Amino acid sequence: MNRIINYLRDAIGGVLFYFGQTKLRTSLTLLGITVGVSSIIAIMTVLATFEKSYSGLVSEMKTNVFYITKDNPIQISFGSGDRNARNKPNITWSEYEQLKRSLTLTKHISATVAEEPSDRTISVGKNELKNRLTSFWGGDGDILSLNKYEIIGGRNISQQDIDNRTRVAMIGYDIKEELFPHSDPVGQTIKIDNLPFEIIGLLAPKGELLGQSMDAMIGIPISTFLQSFGGRHWRRADIMLLLESESMDTIDAATDEAVGVFRAIRKIPPGEENNFYIATNEQLMGTFEEFTGYLTIFIGLVAGISLLVAGIGIANIMLVSLTERIKEIGVRKALGARKIDIFLQFLIEAMLISIIGGIIGIILGLSFGNVIAFFLGQDPVIPFNWVFYSIQICASMGIIFGLYPAIKASNLNPIDSMRYE
Amino acid sequence: MPKSKKEIISMDSISKIYHLGNNVVKALDDVSISIYENDFISIMGPSGSGKSTLMNMIGCLDVPTKGVYKFNNELISEMNDSQLANIRNEKIGFVFQTFNLLPKLTSLKNVEVPLIYSSLGKTKRLQRSEEALSIVGLSDRMDHKPSELSGGQRQRVAIARALVNKPSIILADEPTGNLDSKSGIEILNFFDELHKAGNTLIIVTHEESIARRAKRRVELFDGKIVVDE
Ligand SMILES: Nc1ncnc2c1ncn2[C@@H]1O[C@H](COP(=O)(O)OP(=O)(O)OP(=O)(O)O)[C@@H](O)[C@H]1O
Ligand SMILES: [Mg+2]
Repeated sequence: MNRIINYLRDAIGGVLFYFGQTKLRTSLTLLGITVGVSSIIAIMTVLATFEKSYSGLVSEMKTNVFYITKDNPIQISFGSGDRNARNKPNITWSEYEQLKRSLTLTKHISATVAEEPSDRTISVGKNELKNRLTSFWGGDGDILSLNKYEIIGGRNISQQDIDNRTRVAMIGYDIKEELFPHSDPVGQTIKIDNLPFEIIGLLAPKGELLGQSMDAMIGIPISTFLQSFGGRHWRRADIMLLLESESMDTIDAATDEAVGVFRAIRKIPPGEENNFYIATNEQLMGTFEEFTGYLTIFIGLVAGISLLVAGIGIANIMLVSLTERIKEIGVRKALGARKIDIFLQFLIEAMLISIIGGIIGIILGLSFGNVIAFFLGQDPVIPFNWVFYSIQICASMGIIFGLYPAIKASNLNPIDSMRYE
Repeated sequence: MPKSKKEIISMDSISKIYHLGNNVVKALDDVSISIYENDFISIMGPSGSGKSTLMNMIGCLDVPTKGVYKFNNELISEMNDSQLANIRNEKIGFVFQTFNLLPKLTSLKNVEVPLIYSSLGKTKRLQRSEEALSIVGLSDRMDHKPSELSGGQRQRVAIARALVNKPSIILADEPTGNLDSKSGIEILNFFDELHKAGNTLIIVTHEESIARRAKRRVELFDGKIVVDE
């Protein structure tokens, strides 16, 4: 035990001294370790903040909801992205109406089309909305309940609004706060890209999700949206369908039915693939998880490479340190150091270098990751397990890359090394 | 030599041969010597006669090309690394001809090195190192590095380091070579005391006055022992 304490004391002194002597080489090695460790820690910090709000996201979503869209709305997976997406037909208003008539296992079906985010100019009188909208959507009345929005003033979009393509709007709480700070917005007029809309409903504030306000939004009847903002060929514009089964238990049957009916509408012959995308909320979340999985692998690779380079740096430092210290090793051996003593001294020094680099990396990574998290509007977190793994990785790196120099040092013969100049 | 004494070192036909190109250097040539407990031996001989080589051999630092070396009746050639390290650490105190101090460390730290490889606690180690430095009269130079010391002071640090582990055998390769006669005599008086206390001393020297203090005199010439009396 005493010996180990002695080595540690010796090693710390030696390492600090050696740092002073070879500032450039040491800082380069430290840089490598720091980059490796801090990228791991930074990404893990960001992912940890995501995971925190991801559980929030899941609880925001109903589990008996599924979607029919042209393509997977979460286009973040690498490689597996659908190449046929462009050739797929849009999901159109008339397909929606046919589907609506034929489904039996679906409680609600609604259509929506959205610009997220949206750069439309929103104004009331001379006042213009400063921040861009998180979402500008067209939908029918069910969209709000499917997304768990609550109306606190006025009324919902009605079937009449849809049929008559009225210019009415539902607004999120951020819009009221900014443009109608002292008055009731319901009944007033708001301009969207200079088209006047009557505000018919105000929604309760929902707060932020993944760093974005869910209240900076405006919704209008989907028919109005398509006609006024959908361009000339709005009848062929692509919409997204949200469907709700009776319960979680019937969701599989409901999706199966929807697939069958939609294939029939599109007259897809048996055996051919669906030319649309259908997924439940849970499957969508699966895509998200797949994405974070890819990200982790990618970062692992980057971190792995920089750690490998850093490790070679450590081995190099230790080998140079070895040739500079052959005489010292000889003297120590002549005075009673065993092979194992010299071996441990070198190994502990290598570990110290990498652990020091690791600690710097952890501090940088935590700061960097939390700065990113801050800008994404997330609460700060410390991924303790990854801090712990990083220390372990660094220590093992010190061992692996310090091993060869340490063995070499311990095998020196005392008399020859004392004579070495 | 009273034969009743315990033989601690026994060398039988030891040779150390270096091949440098076509040249063959016999640093030691068929040397046989027995050293007993509490011997006080001076080794003399011209430069290059093999004195340091013999000392390194006795100190278990060098390996003979030929011959048999027994330490305390055990074959050195059969010992493993940690047994040899143990002998160097505990049994033998070595004052090297070229001092071999560690340049980065202070006198005190230099003297402490052998204790690091024993199992002594930190306070004990400091105390012992300070003691050893005060014996050689360097209490006021404990925090100096070798580069900040005179040649004689360095030599005395080397002596303190050899003594710090209280070894029973002291090997000193010209230990007073760099000292003025006064401090040289102090060191030699201290060696006398060690001898009286039962230690075994082997000292390489060029000075007749030192050789006369020793109880036994060995002379080397061209790697061979020519006098042993
Ligand atoms: N590593 C080596 N390689 C080749 N020759 C060596 C080596 N070490 C010693 N020698 C040779 O061995 C011989 C004995 O050297 P040694 O150092 O034992 O002499 P010495 O008696 O101590 O001399 P001095 O009084 O000058 O210290 C010398 O001729 C030297 O050149
Ligand atoms: Mg010599």
